[in-house]
Amino acid sequence: MSAADEGITAEDLVREFRNGPRAVDGISLAVEPGEIYGFLGPNGAGKSTTVHILTTLLPPTSGKATVGGFDVVDQGPAVRGVIGAALQEAALDPHLTAREHMRLQTALQGLPHAERVSRGDELIERVGLEEAADRKVGGYSGGMKRRLDLALALVHWPRVLFLDEPTTGLDPQSRSALWEEVERLSGEEGVTVFLTTQYLEEADHLANRVGIIDAGRIVAEGTPAELKSEIGRPSVVVAPSDPGRLEDTAAVLERFGKSLPAEKGTVEVRLDRGVDELGAIVRELDAAGIGLASLVLNEPTLDDVFLAKTGHHLEGEALPGEDDSGDDE
Amino acid sequence: MIKTTEAGPTRYLSAALGVAWRYLHNLYSRPSMFIPSLVFPLFFLAAFAGGLSVVGDAPSFDYYDFTAFQFCFILIQASTLAGVFAGFSIAGDFEMGMGRRIMLATRRRSSIVLGYGIGAASRLIVTWTIVTGVALAGGMQIAGGGFDLAGIYGIALLSNVAALLFSAGIALRFRSLSAGPLMQLPVFIILFLAPVYVPKELLTGWIEPVATVNPITALLNAARSLMAGEPTGVLTAYLVVFGLIALMGFWAIRGLRQAEQAG
Ligand SMILES: Nc1ncnc2c1ncn2[C@@H]1O[C@H](COP(=O)(O)OP(=O)(O)O)[C@@H](O)[C@H]1O
Ligand SMILES: [Mg+2]
Repeated sequence: MSAADEGITAEDLVREFRNGPRAVDGISLAVEPGEIYGFLGPNGAGKSTTVHILTTLLPPTSGKATVGGFDVVDQGPAVRGVIGAALQEAALDPHLTAREHMRLQTALQGLPHAERVSRGDELIERVGLEEAADRKVGGYSGGMKRRLDLALALVHWPRVLFLDEPTTGLDPQSRSALWEEVERLSGEEGVTVFLTTQYLEEADHLANRVGIIDAGRIVAEGTPAELKSEIGRPSVVVAPSDPGRLEDTAAVLERFGKSLPAEKGTVEVRLDRGVDELGAIVRELDAAGIGLASLVLNEPTLDDVFLAKTGHHLEGEALPGEDDSGDDE
Repeated sequence: MIKTTEAGPTRYLSAALGVAWRYLHNLYSRPSMFIPSLVFPLFFLAAFAGGLSVVGDAPSFDYYDFTAFQFCFILIQASTLAGVFAGFSIAGDFEMGMGRRIMLATRRRSSIVLGYGIGAASRLIVTWTIVTGVALAGGMQIAGGGFDLAGIYGIALLSNVAALLFSAGIALRFRSLSAGPLMQLPVFIILFLAPVYVPKELLTGWIEPVATVNPITALLNAARSLMAGEPTGVLTAYLVVFGLIALMGFWAIRGLRQAEQAG
């Protein structure tokens, strides 16, 4: 079994919006069956547009894609039969309860009558919504809505699952619960997962392979380890004990590597040669009479990969809880 | 458990019934959704049964019962508006994102239009019961037999289908509730450019030629003749309404294709 029969393939996908940008600008990829593919990129990169094309919600302007062996343009109904999707904005009806959503979804997917209720209950239980199952969704928290949306996507035993920013705005507990469920689906049920995210940690933790997307193009692709080893070199972050000596600190450090955008009161450089230079750095700072508040060695992250490939950082890379910019609804 | 879904046609119908179920569920669990569609017909019925009934006493008005005469219009109006209101729901669903869920979960998407159609037609049971009940309470005399009555309700049902398809076509093109007036106004206008208050023979001025070509006139005349137990032009009326359904069906399916292109 290959990406072409059971997984996802895309060749040179392009989507132009009439009054907008080329949201997707020549994307090619192949996701193997059972794989978790992480599509990592900042806001506006084209992640959702790609998901919409692959889930037959939006036809591509040009290019070709298959999902589960079916062409997304010519065989839309067959594609819809093998996929499940939880979109970025969970489309839920505030006037229906979770159980009523299940009733609708099992009917839309054409489950045999006898199985609808049991399948719905099973999935509601799996995502931990039994208690709230008979309450109207209008009163649910963001995390509960996401869980219900995921459960609804699974109703018809899809072989390929699309999750568009499934953990954006979730608290850390809900996030790890969702990660576990995605790992279980892929590991135990062999479901192919296409997951988009703005979070490095998420791609790093969950994805077997990551495609980094920026401005509608894939700028790097590989396993998280491969991508990081491409960058190869760690960076060092120094905070002088006397904030007034920041510039002197920078002058010393820049002898050892290229400086990176850093947090206030610190200097960061990507080391030209690697960890061996650490001793020399400490000696030279000491020689210059610069006291240290902290010195941290950072192994390369996917953000470094992103920075190296695009010249800018991922926005919104911090996980919710560590940063309150997450857009909880 | 057999991990499979039903085969094609069963699944198609199942999806349509799912859409219809949700439509009716939301309609009747929120009175603010279905009361407005009854206000107009009941208002007209009250007005006709009251002051306007003097029209029926005019010497040239030769229909046997003025309330029955108006009832035919009100039944068709109420059924047609029920179709338009279902169009509002389609637009609302696309505006709030439910449209995407439904588009993603159905294989053959024309089942979505069928589903709203089944929903819109089913709500007629309530509409008809209320409108008919009020008319009978207001003293309406029915001259025709059971078969004639079936003919009248048949025309009303098919008008509902045509109006639903018309509004679905608009809803699917605009996918926003702001398109509401575009669904409602044309239907209102065409309804009132028919011989509403008096038979067509009594119309004068510009409205007379307009009423002659208005398809609603044919439906109205046929319904009134059935009510009187003297059917005339019934076949024509059915041909007209089936023609409208074919036309509007095409319009709705083209709208669906546009919604698919827009994502
Ligand atoms: N329907 C649309 N019409 C016009 N522009 C759009 C539309 N949908 C998305 N875009 C634009 O396409 C780009 C990619 O958007 P999107 O795929 O949503 O990115 P992401 O999901 O990575 O945040 C953005 O610049 C966005 O503004
Ligand atoms: Mg997005």
